[in-house]
Amino acid sequence: MQILRKSGWAGFEKTLKMDRKEVIKKVKESGLNGRSGCNFPTGLKWELMGKGVRYLICNANEGEPGTFKDKFIMEKNPSLLIEGIAIASYAMGIHKTFIYLRGEYSYLKPKLERVIKQSEEYLKKINLKININLGAGSYLCGEETAIMESIEGKRPVVRQKPPYPPEVGLYGKSTCVNNVETLANVPLIFLGGWNNKLELYSLSGDLKKPGVHEVEGGIKLKQIVSLAKPKTEPKIIYFGASGGCLPYKKFENLSVGYKSISEQGCMLNGRGLIICGKNREIVELSKIFTEFFLQENCGYCTPCREGNFRIWELLKKIGCRKGRKSDLNLLQKLAYYISDTSYCALGTSSTNHLKCALKYFKGEFLKLCK
Amino acid sequence: MKKLNLLILKYKKEEFNLLSLLEETVKVKGFLSFETLNYISKNLKIPLAKLYGMASFYSFLPTAKTGKYVIRVCNSPSCYLNGSQEVLEILKKFGIEVGKTTKNRKFTLELTSCIGCCDSPPAMMINNKVYKNLDKTKIWNIIKGLK
Repeated sequence: MQILRKSGWAGFEKTLKMDRKEVIKKVKESGLNGRSGCNFPTGLKWELMGKGVRYLICNANEGEPGTFKDKFIMEKNPSLLIEGIAIASYAMGIHKTFIYLRGEYSYLKPKLERVIKQSEEYLKKINLKININLGAGSYLCGEETAIMESIEGKRPVVRQKPPYPPEVGLYGKSTCVNNVETLANVPLIFLGGWNNKLELYSLSGDLKKPGVHEVEGGIKLKQIVSLAKPKTEPKIIYFGASGGCLPYKKFENLSVGYKSISEQGCMLNGRGLIICGKNREIVELSKIFTEFFLQENCGYCTPCREGNFRIWELLKKIGCRKGRKSDLNLLQKLAYYISDTSYCALGTSSTNHLKCALKYFKGEFLKLCK
Repeated sequence: MKKLNLLILKYKKEEFNLLSLLEETVKVKGFLSFETLNYISKNLKIPLAKLYGMASFYSFLPTAKTGKYVIRVCNSPSCYLNGSQEVLEILKKFGIEVGKTTKNRKFTLELTSCIGCCDSPPAMMINNKVYKNLDKTKIWNIIKGLK
């Protein structure tokens, strides 16, 4: 695996000999895009940073169900991440970096602290301090502005954008937020021989061999799924909780990439694929995904808070075979209202799974209705 | 109170942020009671509502008394597909039920969202320790092993 290559700070030493602008230019030319979900060009993000005091936040609050690639990197190759943070901080002229580690991964904190301590001599060269902030079990804190609120010691409600983090971010200063996988790829660019297309996919669900796989982007869905050896023939593929779902049979030859997946009305969030076997019922699965959003919504805006609860009620009713056909229309309407009127990305994407389910598996819903 | 004062002093020295202060307080006090939050609020001159707003938001900051061991069973799709409901059934046999604390104040059981162990499901956390690939004998041994 490319991401497990050891750099031993060779990449960092190389960048120190370069001018800051050159470093950013090289990252831009390499074509590295954000690996968390938005696919935003990393070099451009770094270039947009303002002047004065600046901060870098490493987003290690990987909460999307079915995604565990960041944990994989922090467990297997933490020094690459720290080196990536050092290079990014040097390129942007940053002297303070926060790693926002989710509370569920608290057992990784001592390991990361040890690596930071071992790398002190390199970090001193650019006068960089790395702080590890522990989250406390919140999915919402994976959003870049919610992380800032959390670090500042506030209830993490997502901020209104614009202004964007490069203008007004943490403590009102210019801030860059990068994902673990993105930062871990940075040293490899400078080492040479880095393949831009290799990405990590987390596969889980009805599988014999669930786990993280590194594959080239654009590979067919069929090929990715076969890596993990499904227990039975796959029926539905979920792209995390907020990414929506696709029927496997119809799309098995689809090449997996940000563009091709979003053309089908889904999102390739964090590249976590949950594969459901042929015996799974779509209504039951939709209920489980809705339960996730019930648990994790912040309660700030009404459509997401109340709407998802009503969806859950309706799905429960349909699951008990007490639903009517008119309930399906109501479900569809609710799903679209919530995604159109919610305040933050959690709300707007919270019904993606249901929209896709109603689009591709309406027959199964109808079967259960009177 | 001595330990709490020490934590407050650390916060004043900016050794950690407010969220970490509350997390550390949970470690010392077990949970964030009204009195504890009030005490922090008066000492740091932070409105009580703000503190309670934070405490009630995060799932790892309990505002009510919990058992000695807080069991958090992952209820996310990947674990659900691989038998998280059976884990709950087995725990029920020990008298541990979802959302409740056992009478001897030893266990509290909660459902949690994904804990990032989708590659080794079903999984649960007990306090800060993660247990993966659970089955009947494994759960039996874990629960019996906790004193």
